[in-house]
Amino acid sequence: MRTRASVGRWVTAVLLGFAFVYACSLATSDDIPRLQLVAQALYFAVAAAGLNLLTGYNGQVSIGHGAFFGIGAFTSAILIKDHGWEYLPTLPVAAVLAAVVGVLVGFPALRVKGLYLALVTLGLATIFPDVIKRFFDESGQGQVTVRSRLLRAPEWWPAGIGDRYQWAYVLTLVLTVVAFVITAIVVRLRFGRALVAVRDHEAAATTLGIDPARVKLGAFGLSAAYAGIAGSLSVLVLGNAEANKATTFNLSILFLIAVVVGGTATVLGPLVGGWFVVMLQDQVNTFAERPDRLLGLPVPGPVEDFVRGKTVLTPAIFGIVLVVSMYLLPDGIVGASRRGWNRAWAAAQRRRIPAPVPASDGPDPQRKDRT
Amino acid sequence: MTQQRSPRRSARALVLVLALVLALVAAACGGGSSDSDGGGGSPTTASGGSGDGYQDINPDDCDIDPESVTIEGDTIKLGTSIPQSGLYSAFKEILLGEQAYIEYVNAEKGGFDVGGKKYKVELIAKDDAYEASRTVTNVQSLITSDDVFGLFDVVGTKNNLAIRDNVNDACVPGLFAATGSPAWGNKNYPWIIGTFLVPYPLEMKALVDYLETNQPAATIAVLRANDDFGKAYSESLAELVEGTDLKIVKEEVYDPEVADTKAQVTSLAATKADVFVVGATLLACPDALKNAQASGWTRKVTYMSGTCTSKTLMAIAGDAGADVYSVAPLMDPNNPEYAEQPNMKLYKQKVAQYEPEADATNGIVAYGWSVGALLEQTLAEAKSGDRLGVMEAARNLTDVKGLALQLPGISWSVGADDWFLGEQFSMVQYSLADQYFSTVGPLVKLDGETAELTPPALIDG
Amino acid sequence: MDLFLSQLMNGVGRGVIYASLALALVLIFRTTGILNFAQGEMALFSTYVFWQFTDWGWPVWLAILATLVLSFLGGAAIERVVIRPVEQSSPLVVVIVTIGLFLAFNALAQLVFGTEAKALPRAYPFEQWTLGPLTLESDTVALVVVLAVECVVLWLLFQRTRLGLGLRAVAADPDASRLAGVPVGRMLMFGWAIAAAIGALSGMLVVPTTPGLNAGSMQTILVFAFAAAALGGFDSLLGAVVGGLILGVANTMTIQYLNVLDGIELVVPFGLILGVLLVRPQGLFGSTRVERV
Repeated sequence: MRTRASVGRWVTAVLLGFAFVYACSLATSDDIPRLQLVAQALYFAVAAAGLNLLTGYNGQVSIGHGAFFGIGAFTSAILIKDHGWEYLPTLPVAAVLAAVVGVLVGFPALRVKGLYLALVTLGLATIFPDVIKRFFDESGQGQVTVRSRLLRAPEWWPAGIGDRYQWAYVLTLVLTVVAFVITAIVVRLRFGRALVAVRDHEAAATTLGIDPARVKLGAFGLSAAYAGIAGSLSVLVLGNAEANKATTFNLSILFLIAVVVGGTATVLGPLVGGWFVVMLQDQVNTFAERPDRLLGLPVPGPVEDFVRGKTVLTPAIFGIVLVVSMYLLPDGIVGASRRGWNRAWAAAQRRRIPAPVPASDGPDPQRKDRT
Repeated sequence: MTQQRSPRRSARALVLVLALVLALVAAACGGGSSDSDGGGGSPTTASGGSGDGYQDINPDDCDIDPESVTIEGDTIKLGTSIPQSGLYSAFKEILLGEQAYIEYVNAEKGGFDVGGKKYKVELIAKDDAYEASRTVTNVQSLITSDDVFGLFDVVGTKNNLAIRDNVNDACVPGLFAATGSPAWGNKNYPWIIGTFLVPYPLEMKALVDYLETNQPAATIAVLRANDDFGKAYSESLAELVEGTDLKIVKEEVYDPEVADTKAQVTSLAATKADVFVVGATLLACPDALKNAQASGWTRKVTYMSGTCTSKTLMAIAGDAGADVYSVAPLMDPNNPEYAEQPNMKLYKQKVAQYEPEADATNGIVAYGWSVGALLEQTLAEAKSGDRLGVMEAARNLTDVKGLALQLPGISWSVGADDWFLGEQFSMVQYSLADQYFSTVGPLVKLDGETAELTPPALIDG
Repeated sequence: MDLFLSQLMNGVGRGVIYASLALALVLIFRTTGILNFAQGEMALFSTYVFWQFTDWGWPVWLAILATLVLSFLGGAAIERVVIRPVEQSSPLVVVIVTIGLFLAFNALAQLVFGTEAKALPRAYPFEQWTLGPLTLESDTVALVVVLAVECVVLWLLFQRTRLGLGLRAVAADPDASRLAGVPVGRMLMFGWAIAAAIGALSGMLVVPTTPGLNAGSMQTILVFAFAAAALGGFDSLLGAVVGGLILGVANTMTIQYLNVLDGIELVVPFGLILGVLLVRPQGLFGSTRVERV
């Protein structure tokens, strides 16, 4: 029988299929800025997926994931630049290191909850750049730059596809797919259900035999690993790892935005959210630099003069869009599309089944204004 | 009930794993030094083959052949990435000075001369809010999407470092990185040249020379930013005072993103040192000066970074800025001594004409104007209208004098033996009553000394 | 000893800055249960408005008063227009909305008033007084006084007035309060309004002591204000003040005495907070909530 859910899954699969085909077609592109941009959206989505596991599914708010991202980035960058590693082996090291720190942060999270935990993670994001500068970066720049030559594809890479930025893009794409597939699997496993159980009612979950400590620590570790991988990918794509308070803080906030705007506790939400965050900022930035056309339409002169060069418009518009999108879509984009889908399905069903006639003149059980 | 025990056991195991991993990483990092092997546009020998100090650039091993990229049509497209928003947005005034100069030459001289033919210059500016990652993507976009001929005056040491490899591999001219970092002396990267701003180690040399003459046994307290900019000051100063009677008694570090120096300055003031060196920039400068004054610290000499010599910052410092020493390669537009200089009059007139919202009395605008003039001279000296020709011209600028607002009497040169442009300048002192900087002592001429004075790690790091 | 005392005073000076913004944060949390990410940037915007008034030549005290009134009204308006529609949604949604406000206010301030640093006039002159080994600065004293007054006024408000009773009722149980006839909407607006005014006052007193008003003026203060609120307990006004003071002093003392931590001094204040929270997860003065199965 065709249920709402099964048809819904088909529709999602088709949409994803189109997106994937489009993404693959970029692999042979020469447009490096575009490749870098899409790759950024993708690894953003990976980090957001990690944060979603922790915050969406497990209810622990973190505004410090920029730090885990940075750990992954610096691990890869330092291993390649100072120790001559190839890029690929640095990925698992980055993930593991980030996960380890994640679990360490998870320990206090067993005691400290809610808003206070959010503050602890914010503290992590604030201290992280200082620690990097002090212990891992003798030149004191707060950044590590890796030569393009050291980031080229390995020997087995096919000659037809570019070996620097196209390689970075394809690897990012592959890892993004893998990350989301893993998420989809995890949320269906017992662990995924335990995440939600601990979020919704920890005390009750214990009575069911779930160990909240293990679940919470696992959530922190896993989500940090995702962020670490994203950070490592950023080094491959941009050739640069940067740690300063503004960037780490901004990243942490942007990941959280991606999670919520995409749709908390949904598998695909972070993908949509990551895309949204990166693309919106890029579009507004480009517009602010050359405000002669907006969405294909010419822009009037005085508006153009006012906007030109004012890149501070980007956070302004971004902020306003955020506020508005939270009214319109409090479940996030994926949540709202689900609701929309449900409604469309129900409307289609109603056309086939006539509406029930009320049995009596008594109070309508559907109305909610009983006190 | 195993629930109580397992977290503790897994905790111990985790801590052990962590300790192991961190120990490995720390051990590995402890000996790590950065890799600085040659790359595209590979290093050339010092004698450059011609033996007369001319710096050739080797075009082999470039991703894009620099001799094949020529100026197309009648416009030279140049790109820049500067902070136009955020904490460092004060630097966007540089753009106004540059644009004023470019518009002036485009309009009144028919364009910039390259090999006898005149071209207009178009400058495409992108905002990176001082974030190096954004500089990377901006520059990538400028090179591949906007097809710029070269980069011009990209701001920020870390920003230029982030793009250095790519620019060098692609052999794209990186004209006049707007920082005084000694890193641009790294011979592995001929495609980025630093601007005429005084290299930070030379500032310290000028200071030490001044102190040896006037305060030979002085004690010095240093405040520096917690980044490579600050390190350039403290490390070169430490090397310079070795063997003299000067002594650094304390050094404090502040976070450049926070610009709060109160506690650090109180700590330094307690040493009652004779000399206070402020290795800071932007708002942290006046903050440090004001804090020093408030702490009642009587000093013989206060020295601040050359990047702080702006009218705005000194206005914020108020009377805490009295008699502060610094360095400057350009004439101060507020100093009436230079008001009648033809270059100064031209500058003020043209800025008012072409960029009226710019404040011509702001040293940052004066810098932008002057580096525009440097661009004009570089293009005029190019032996061929392609990237290689232009870059070689930049690498061999000789005896640049009287350029825009350059101080009268100093000359700038670069060549095979010396990769630093801004080695002649003047020490200056701020007069509170007059509200401008005047030159102090003889003109400082330290040609060729940056490479000698700077600890190699700062150049090659 | 002298050095210790002057660094102590420096610490207190920084601490009251954090406390003044933390007070606003805690106020909104206590009255509406929301963590307002945008508190700092709202204060920033108010401070820019204050600058504009003084730039037009208004006397400082008039400018302060006018800004306070405008901020009060502005805070109420924001609650009504921006926050009310999403108040019923999940806390994460509300956080995102306040983040959106954070970004928007910061950017709007730059768009409307320009990005150059602005010099602000002081509300009081800069003075230093020596009391024995202690050197007191007028900046610190003024903020301490203002903070004390704010605390007293708020305490009186909450404990001794009907308005305060209404605020507390709405915070504890909005539905029951509605039944009891408390105008819930107005109470929420009032909470935001006072918090906005307190934040504005904080900005107007603090920023003139910094080198210049610019887009980043409030950002570090915000992080420390959060930290102070967490340390003291998000629902305790006294906690905000004590938390701020502890943080300020810890930071300054580390800079002076723990040179081994050069560059990573922040580890101490944040480590302290972590330590306290591990022992008392609700902060020093926060109230615990009992969770029933």
